Amino acid sequence: MAMTTEGPRRAAREGGAQGRLQTEEMILNVGPQHPATHGVFRLLATIDGEILINAEPVIGYMHRGYEKLVEQRDYRQITNLVSRMDWLSGINNELPLALAVEQLMEIEVPPRAQYLRVILCEMNRILNHLMFFASFGAELGAITPTFYAFREREDIQRVMEATTGGRMHFGFFRPGGLKEDVPRGFVDDALQGVRQVIERLPDYEDLLVGNEIFKQRTIDVGVLDKEAAYSYGVTGPIARGSGADMDVRRDEPYLVYDQFDFDVCSAPNGDCFDRFWVLVREVGESARIVEQAIEGLPPGPIMGKVPRVVQAPAGEVYVRTENPLGELGMYLVSDGDRRPYRLKIRTPSYNNVSALSHVLANTYVSDMIAILGSFFFVLGDIDR
Amino acid sequence: MALDQRRLEKARKPGFGLGLLKGMGVTLKHLFKHNTVIQYPDEKQDLSPRTRGVIALKEENCTVCMLCARECPDWCIYIDSHKEQLPPKRQGGRPRKRNVLDRFAIDYALCMYCGICVEVCPYDALFWSREFEYAEYDIRELTHEKERLSDWMESVLPPPPLEIGAEYPGSPTRAPETPPAGAAARGTAASTPAADDAGGTEEQPGAPVAPLGGGGRTPDAGAAKPPMPDVGPVPGEQAAATPGRDGATGREETSAGEEAPRGQAPGGDGTTEAPAGAPPGATATPPDATATPPDATATRPGDDDPPPESTGEARADVKPPDATATPPDAAATPPDATATPPGDDDPPPESTGEARADVAPTMTSPEGGGPAPEEIASLRETPGPNVEVPHETPQPTALTPTEDPDEVYAQVLKEQQAKGSSPQVAEARAKVARVKAERGIARGPAPSPGEEEGG
Amino acid sequence: MFDITLATWQILVIKVLVILTVVPVGALVGGYAEHKVMAHLQHRLGPMYPGGWHGWATTLADGIKFLLKEDIIPAAADRKVFSFAPAAIMVPIIMIYLVIPIDRNLVIEDLDVGLFYLLAIGSLSTIGLLMAGWSSANKYALIGALRSAAQLIAYELPIVLAAAVVAMLAGSLSLIDIVEAQNFPFALWPPGIGFVAFLLFTVGAVAEMTRVPFDMPVAESEIITGPFTEYSGMRYIFSHMFAEMGHMVAFGGIAATLFLGGYKPIIPLRILEYIPGVFWFFGKTMFMIFLFLWIRPTFPRVREDQLQKFAWKFLIPVGLVLILATGAWVLYV
Repeated sequence: MAMTTEGPRRAAREGGAQGRLQTEEMILNVGPQHPATHGVFRLLATIDGEILINAEPVIGYMHRGYEKLVEQRDYRQITNLVSRMDWLSGINNELPLALAVEQLMEIEVPPRAQYLRVILCEMNRILNHLMFFASFGAELGAITPTFYAFREREDIQRVMEATTGGRMHFGFFRPGGLKEDVPRGFVDDALQGVRQVIERLPDYEDLLVGNEIFKQRTIDVGVLDKEAAYSYGVTGPIARGSGADMDVRRDEPYLVYDQFDFDVCSAPNGDCFDRFWVLVREVGESARIVEQAIEGLPPGPIMGKVPRVVQAPAGEVYVRTENPLGELGMYLVSDGDRRPYRLKIRTPSYNNVSALSHVLANTYVSDMIAILGSFFFVLGDIDR
Repeated sequence: MALDQRRLEKARKPGFGLGLLKGMGVTLKHLFKHNTVIQYPDEKQDLSPRTRGVIALKEENCTVCMLCARECPDWCIYIDSHKEQLPPKRQGGRPRKRNVLDRFAIDYALCMYCGICVEVCPYDALFWSREFEYAEYDIRELTHEKERLSDWMESVLPPPPLEIGAEYPGSPTRAPETPPAGAAARGTAASTPAADDAGGTEEQPGAPVAPLGGGGRTPDAGAAKPPMPDVGPVPGEQAAATPGRDGATGREETSAGEEAPRGQAPGGDGTTEAPAGAPPGATATPPDATATPPDATATRPGDDDPPPESTGEARADVKPPDATATPPDAAATPPDATATPPGDDDPPPESTGEARADVAPTMTSPEGGGPAPEEIASLRETPGPNVEVPHETPQPTALTPTEDPDEVYAQVLKEQQAKGSSPQVAEARAKVARVKAERGIARGPAPSPGEEEGG
Repeated sequence: MFDITLATWQILVIKVLVILTVVPVGALVGGYAEHKVMAHLQHRLGPMYPGGWHGWATTLADGIKFLLKEDIIPAAADRKVFSFAPAAIMVPIIMIYLVIPIDRNLVIEDLDVGLFYLLAIGSLSTIGLLMAGWSSANKYALIGALRSAAQLIAYELPIVLAAAVVAMLAGSLSLIDIVEAQNFPFALWPPGIGFVAFLLFTVGAVAEMTRVPFDMPVAESEIITGPFTEYSGMRYIFSHMFAEMGHMVAFGGIAATLFLGGYKPIIPLRILEYIPGVFWFFGKTMFMIFLFLWIRPTFPRVREDQLQKFAWKFLIPVGLVLILATGAWVLYV
């Protein structure tokens, strides 16, 4: 199953039995409109027959100027804007912002709010991972996991909708806690939704992970070694799929993550299969966290002592959290106003995508698709 | 993780076609499963009350404070108004000014459905509705004017009740204890876990999950503690109106709107800036009193626009200390009738802040990674005065009247007239008191322990 | 009964009309089956509106829709080749239907070399795909065409070898004779050989139709529709939809004829022989079609080089071994 392009390339160069065979390299524009790239993402690929010699990612097609927009808005408005960055994990984007403001203002967040934040963030992680489960299969040609995964997402999304009002953009976190408390039945529904996902996931896993064709397409394809992952700043399930053992929830716990028992799953080989494997395992771990958090959910208020007008005192703080796609960091510089002076957002997909040109050198065109699918990225996250 | 590594290696091995067959089995299984497709537009999904579909405007409540237009991140709310002069209230007073709303438009082509305007409106003039089918062919039609926004009000649902363990603003569900009593409470709480297991679990009929906070929570253990003061009528309609939730079964619960504030209530102890120049209590009433004195006694909150209760709560938002003293009653009645008891009652919410601080003294900052388990455990034992905790014995809805309603009516009427209220106000208050007496509901929190309230 | 004697030319016309009716109807029904069966396998409903009851008129509506579409030919395309390619794809598929027997006496033309004719004509559509891809003046289409040419050539051989096994066992190339020579249990006899041949044929058929898991040439998420990217309207339907559906029904029929016993009842009970052979034939064809449809949503796509490796290094050697084994069987059993 090892992909070798040496044979075909040598034949093309040396011309086989007939002597010199003239071949030309073709420049293929993958995107910005392409079903396989998750959004407006352009890959300038140089192709020799079926072999991709070089691929250069071109980003910026979705740049919306977040960091400038937020300079004119106060923190509650920014919360709603920022959840549109990585739109598949909306609430995880709001989290570092809330944490940053809380750190600057030294607000104590009540435990119930922290537990609920953990529950919502982990449920969103499950949503995100199921989405990439769906899209990875679809890109490889397996169209069914898409529908199965989306059906599982529905259960959880209904809970999110009942709680926050939205299915994708939540706008629920505030500096100091949550916007409002969860409605009656949240506990039951959340638990049921999460348990249902866990119950059915092995089935869907069989469709892909157990499938020989899938294994042939993804094992030893798109290998990203650990050193390259570190040097490109790749984080999240992609880095963990390359053997890096990093997880901000465990290494620098925020919220109440230090009280939960969860494993950080990593896989040593760094190919598409491993990344996918990590993705699926993480769903299980998130479900564990949600169950533990629900069982330990304390009663109480969900908002700390926050002044009516949220003004962060002058100062700067960098907060990082584990977004489902990797490490999301927000560097907040405040000058005492209601609005940030500068908010620099370090998004995981940006760094993940920068490793693409390293991984995509000398692969097949079809492997390019598999690799793009396994590098879970969201365009809004890259471009902001 | 060792286990996962082994499974990973096993998964990576070639399967010689068996995996293919297994996959085919999975898809075949789904062929015979019941389909869960909702065939839109013939069938529609039952959306939650909080779903952000469209924003509805209740014109009567709008005072053109422009907060929504200011806070909107997209600046999609267009408001025009002018000021009108009204004759003075009493002879010789100064003329009153009123803001009149000329134009209130929300441009849904710009709106990002964040809900900040709804959250920020101090007078509860904006509500979320779950209607979403208003696509237009012309983008100009997407700017909904005042009339259309008012039409959306018909589809607004009352807010759902909150989860067990949530904190409601308003009167304490249990008198907060001073620290020694708190220690005693914790002591007695520890000794009676069994009784509360029964009480705790029967609060959630059919809940598969362990009762939150364990069964060991005994907010009322201990003879020294006063019985729980009434928290107001269970709005039966609200229980019926909240879609799909069966939580409000025979429990007295505050029909708290989710617009209720969080830390802003305890923030009343000084860190808050004075809310928009409204002194507590008194001026909270005019908008509501002028709007609903005749309706005050039609205490079916479901009859009117859905959340008059939350009007009370939202006002509670703006003026924390006194007006929050009594929940839904306050919506139906001008708060004065019940406002005075909170005055002499157990501490106003300010000290609840302190009491809670006593109860959970060491909530750590976010950097520390969250509160320690001991604090959480102690919080669970004594969750704070405004936290809805399962009662030991659920309170029935229908209560026996304890006083003669007509006597109460006459008495309250006399009291009000003696105080100098206008005749309409006096009558309204008397009517409400009569209805309360009919239903056996206390007209205010227990002034002292031991006095039987009939509820 | 009536004594109808028809002139040769009249019979010819009837036969042509029959084919020209059966093929589109078969493609329509096959397309509808694909929509619904795949949908239910994917836990959804599929089309429900066209025609009212569970969307039975979906493919009909599709056909009408495509008739009304604009016929676009890219400016840089080679017009003659571009226009001719759909025909080059479609006509061989129609011609396959000529020899498939529906019942003992119901076949358009019972050629003595039926099987040979089938395989030969069936492989003609390869050139049509190449023509479509090359003339489109589109890089993606070119990639698709090259992939498809390689794939179709590679997977002809397993089909031919499996068919050769059947021909050897039956002792004839005429399809009716082949059906008559089969007995219960159909695909499982001779032991080992029959089933492997059946599998070989099925896999080869799926690849010939460029269906998942062998749909690299038309890999949707990579190169949109491969050689047919630039086609629109009726040309698209003829070259892609009709071809694929027609092909599917045809191969279903062929597999039913060669391996499943054609128009013979499944179990050789006297009572079952009262049911006309047409039903048996169509039942078996539908079973095959269901198999094709079942495979489609379940598997991901096989990569091009793995596809080739699978064919050349696995299937064809197996086929050759099978021929040896069949020869031994025929000689000594």
